[in-house]
Amino acid sequence: MRKKLISMLLCATMVATMATGCGDKSGNDDKTSSGANSETNGGSDNSGAGGGSGSSETVDLRLWGAEEDQDYLQQVVSNFEKAYPDQKFNIEIGVESESTAKDTVLTDIEAAADVYSFASDQLADLVRAGALAAIDDVGEVLAKADKTLDDVKSANAPDSIEAATLDGKMYGFPTGGANTYFLYYDSSVISEEDAKSWDALLAAAAKAKKKVGMTLNSGWYNASFFYGAGFTTGLNADGTTTIDWNGTSADNISGVDVVKSMLDITSNSAFMPIADGQISNTIASGDLCAVISGAWDSSKAEEVWGDGYAATKLPTYTLGGQQIQMAPAYGYKFEAVNAYSKNTGWAVLLAEFISNEESQKLHFDMKKQPPTNSNVLASDAIKADKAIAAAVSQGDFGVIQSVGQKYWDTTKTFGEMVAKGKIKAKDDAAIQKALDNLVEGVTAPLS
Amino acid sequence: MKVKKMKDKRPSTIIMHNVLIGILAVIWLIPIVWLVCQSFSANPGINTSTFFPRKWSIISYIKLFSPDTVAQFPQWFLNTFIVACVNCVISTLFVLMVAYATSIMRFPMRKPLMNIAVILNLFPGMLSMIAVYFVLKTFSLTNSYAGLIMVYSASSGLGYLIAKGFFDTVPRALCEAARIDGCSEARIFLQMVIPMSRPIVVYTVISSFLAPWMDFVFAKMILNAGVSSKYTVAIGLYKMLDKSLINNYFTQFCAGGVLVSIPISILFMIMQKFYVEGITGGAVKG
Amino acid sequence: MANEKKSTAAEAVSGFFKAVGGFFSSFGTAVAKGDIFVKLSLLWWGAGYVRYKQYVKAIIMTALEAGIILFSVFFASQYVPKFGTLGTVKAEMIFNIDTMKNEFNDYDHSFMILLFSLFSFVVWFVAIVIWMRNMANVYKLQLMEENGEHINTFKEDVKLYIGEKFHITLLALPVLGVVVFTIIPILLLIFVAFTNYDQQHMPPSELFTWVGFSNFITLFGGGGLTATFGYSFVRVLGWTLVWAFFSTITTYIGGILLSLLLNSAKTRFPKFWRLMFVITIAVPQFVSLLLVRNFFADNGIVNTICDNIHLTGFLRDIGLVSTDHIPFLSAPGWAHVMIILINIWVGVPYQMLIATGVLMNIPEDQLESAKMDGAKPFQIFTKITMPYMLFITGPALVTDFVKNINNFNVIYLLTQDVYTTTNQALANSQAQEVDLLVTWLFRLTQDYYNYKMASVIGIVVFVICALFTLVAFNYMIGGDKEGTYQ
Repeated sequence: MRKKLISMLLCATMVATMATGCGDKSGNDDKTSSGANSETNGGSDNSGAGGGSGSSETVDLRLWGAEEDQDYLQQVVSNFEKAYPDQKFNIEIGVESESTAKDTVLTDIEAAADVYSFASDQLADLVRAGALAAIDDVGEVLAKADKTLDDVKSANAPDSIEAATLDGKMYGFPTGGANTYFLYYDSSVISEEDAKSWDALLAAAAKAKKKVGMTLNSGWYNASFFYGAGFTTGLNADGTTTIDWNGTSADNISGVDVVKSMLDITSNSAFMPIADGQISNTIASGDLCAVISGAWDSSKAEEVWGDGYAATKLPTYTLGGQQIQMAPAYGYKFEAVNAYSKNTGWAVLLAEFISNEESQKLHFDMKKQPPTNSNVLASDAIKADKAIAAAVSQGDFGVIQSVGQKYWDTTKTFGEMVAKGKIKAKDDAAIQKALDNLVEGVTAPLS
Repeated sequence: MKVKKMKDKRPSTIIMHNVLIGILAVIWLIPIVWLVCQSFSANPGINTSTFFPRKWSIISYIKLFSPDTVAQFPQWFLNTFIVACVNCVISTLFVLMVAYATSIMRFPMRKPLMNIAVILNLFPGMLSMIAVYFVLKTFSLTNSYAGLIMVYSASSGLGYLIAKGFFDTVPRALCEAARIDGCSEARIFLQMVIPMSRPIVVYTVISSFLAPWMDFVFAKMILNAGVSSKYTVAIGLYKMLDKSLINNYFTQFCAGGVLVSIPISILFMIMQKFYVEGITGGAVKG
Repeated sequence: MANEKKSTAAEAVSGFFKAVGGFFSSFGTAVAKGDIFVKLSLLWWGAGYVRYKQYVKAIIMTALEAGIILFSVFFASQYVPKFGTLGTVKAEMIFNIDTMKNEFNDYDHSFMILLFSLFSFVVWFVAIVIWMRNMANVYKLQLMEENGEHINTFKEDVKLYIGEKFHITLLALPVLGVVVFTIIPILLLIFVAFTNYDQQHMPPSELFTWVGFSNFITLFGGGGLTATFGYSFVRVLGWTLVWAFFSTITTYIGGILLSLLLNSAKTRFPKFWRLMFVITIAVPQFVSLLLVRNFFADNGIVNTICDNIHLTGFLRDIGLVSTDHIPFLSAPGWAHVMIILINIWVGVPYQMLIATGVLMNIPEDQLESAKMDGAKPFQIFTKITMPYMLFITGPALVTDFVKNINNFNVIYLLTQDVYTTTNQALANSQAQEVDLLVTWLFRLTQDYYNYKMASVIGIVVFVICALFTLVAFNYMIGGDKEGTYQ
């Protein structure tokens, strides 16, 4: 009722605007917040008509996925529609990579897709903004798929469910695992033994006049040095981040020494710092003989290095005579349900469908996406894939990175300073200062 | 220094002079040549080792016209064309209307309105973007071309100054004579001033037609459903340079850039004459 | 135009107040001296017109009044009362298994409250203006009736709108467009600068509220140890001004020189050469700049060539670069210079076109007499050509400077995703050495949803532009009076 009045009045005041506008209105009339407000008033009327299963109304859903997954998602959606033959759907697939989902969703949650995928490091920010429907609250709808929430939880690797859970509630269906980075190398230049430590790696690369590449100006990559030495990051309830890199770790290693080790590596002429996002580009240039990257670059690496293509866990680095294993950030991909979806129930069912065993298997077959489903993980095809094997092998020491919003820019700048040699290995005080600044920036209250 | 040579009419200085222009032109054209070369490269990623592609091919153009989920160039082109045409009509009307009212007519609020326009032009457009978005959302106009057209055209009246400068050159006596003959203002506007102002009309039409081809910020904000077939050329091409796509789409981006630039260049060449006339027509008068 | 320019800002302001004063006084007279119908029009807008038999007008005014009342009762009343708090009820949802939908409580959406309250204020403001004007009009009718003058029929009134009042017809839609798409958004964001609208307070799930001037205090350095907005602001502002100065001057002078070069009698095929330069501006900026960015990337083609001709090695030997590539767009200093150089590439052809047009009109006799007096070409350039150019394009130079302060495209397209700052204090407030105030503002809204700080920065940008324009125009108007070239 109220909504009608509003639009009527707006029409009256904005005749000109609406006259042009009405001609081209697409199917998102109900996107205004007044629409959301009136839901409570209108909802009770609807429940009578739409009650029971398989209503005759067409269900409109919007699904976002990465550019490279579009054909896969089309197939999943058609499978989904087949699985519910009684219900008419109108499912639109849009492009939004899981790595940037948060940025787009938070701009306007109500305009975001009903179902979208996101990377696990965005979970806290999305939950805090109220963008995600808690699966526990809506889990009963899974009965339509002859499942319970516990079935979903037990079908996937426990770590992935844990990563999807915040304050005791699950906020997404795991669809992809081993979202991490490891070492690709050209076995015609670097032996399996050389690939185990940075020192040997760089020496072998220097001999072959090639380079070893790694992205340092990203808190996702450069944290691996610190995590390996026993340092931690954490997330507080208020969204601030905790970080201890300027002190001494549980393994009794000081942060300054870690930075010195990093600077030893970056000052080696066989090392090449690669800007975030430029990795596959750089692989293609052919200058590299080894690079730290994730499963998404496997086809590029295989194409460039051919038979020499190999992948293994991250190397160790030298710190005061001892070898320290780098520990990567280890993440997952989840399928989210928008809290402000107009069709929450069906959105949950679609999200669950994308995360089920059949879809995950399809995803691996089509796109080499490492799965989280235990049955798919156990399949032979997975075990035969070099990149996925390397990624999964890091599950034991990989760190599920839970950090807040302030973490990223500050660590990015810190990594850039190390990569560019802006701080010198000899200058302990300067390193300590940089680390203190880093900690101060990361732990700053959100403004 | 260049001016110094003006007195010299010896052939050697003429050659030097033209060589200098030639060198400058080459500098200016290098990136454009690179754009064209890359668009004909067989390797879809960025070629970083040689200026000219190692292998020539028209594969990028072929791919551009065989849409996949990422690139739907023909569709984008059509979308942008529609937006551009409508925007062109509305913006041109608005600009000419405001220019006529402020230049030829005299009314009490004229000066204050012009001052307000100057002030409004000082606000950074980026700032109002988010608010514009919510205004559009209130009217359910996000993700529609109507919304996009409104963003481009609604405030176009503020860009009236060049046209006003030109209208100021229309002899006042002519208008007065027409008024005495009993012509209504509407007739003076439509049948006298507009026909006399062809350069500025052409300039306004072309520049408002070009705006949607160039803008990616507002378009990206408003067409945010993520559906590739709804993009304009600018967003579509911009998205091709995403980290995850650049290695497979860089040459297609170049090809798309070339294809968009050709019609724009032609329009621009038509426009440059009027641009010069229109701008100086207004500027000479201060 | 020339004498129009002479009206200084002060005169403009006083003129404006005079107009407003006249407006109020005519309203006052109408209320005081009007007859009963005029006075009745205070309540019922159509009353006066009924009295003087302008029935169509009466209906229109009555309908308008009814519309505004309905608007106030059913629309504005939902939002305006909450304007003081910007809402108190948070969104809560319950999943209804029967409808398979989430059901929401009647929650407050702070942004909508702000937007619709503002919208209501604008409508009311317009309504009051119409109301007061209406009074004056009705009183005028009364006077005309008393003096026995002819009172227009509705048809005659309408005819006025293509005649005397044609400007109203012309301006109605453009002004409406500007109000809705420029003025309301600007006012809205001025309000946001006084709220705590940021990632922690994002509607629809959270509420935001008024915080007074604390955002301004944060920007000007009072924000505690970790919030480095004050620190970043000074640096970003510095580079913004440096950039605006150099980008304006270089393209301006470059454009004049290029146009002199092309228009010289010694140039063969001037049209062809001009075409070569114009092509570069015909390519849309997002294509040409993104391309140039990849052209100069750390592992891009230019670096490969520089490496091959050993330029990189040479620069490293003399200590200009410390890496194995030239950081054209990725290190401070280098990036600053490159951005200005690339802007010359983008901007000079434009300025060349304008300069060509202006130089065609340069008074021949002055040039001739100068040559007769034996002036050197360089003297002609500095004594005649440049002053003439400056006189003609001076105002454009000022607007160019303001445009460059807000030049989003060049900076954003060249540095986004490419440049990473190594200054931790800048990073803490999400700024970079190469940021302009507008790109910083854009990043704050797009990536960090820090709308409150972005709004504050936007207001500061406006103040800077306004001050500069005011000073520059006043100064130039002083110089104009000589009228050398008239």
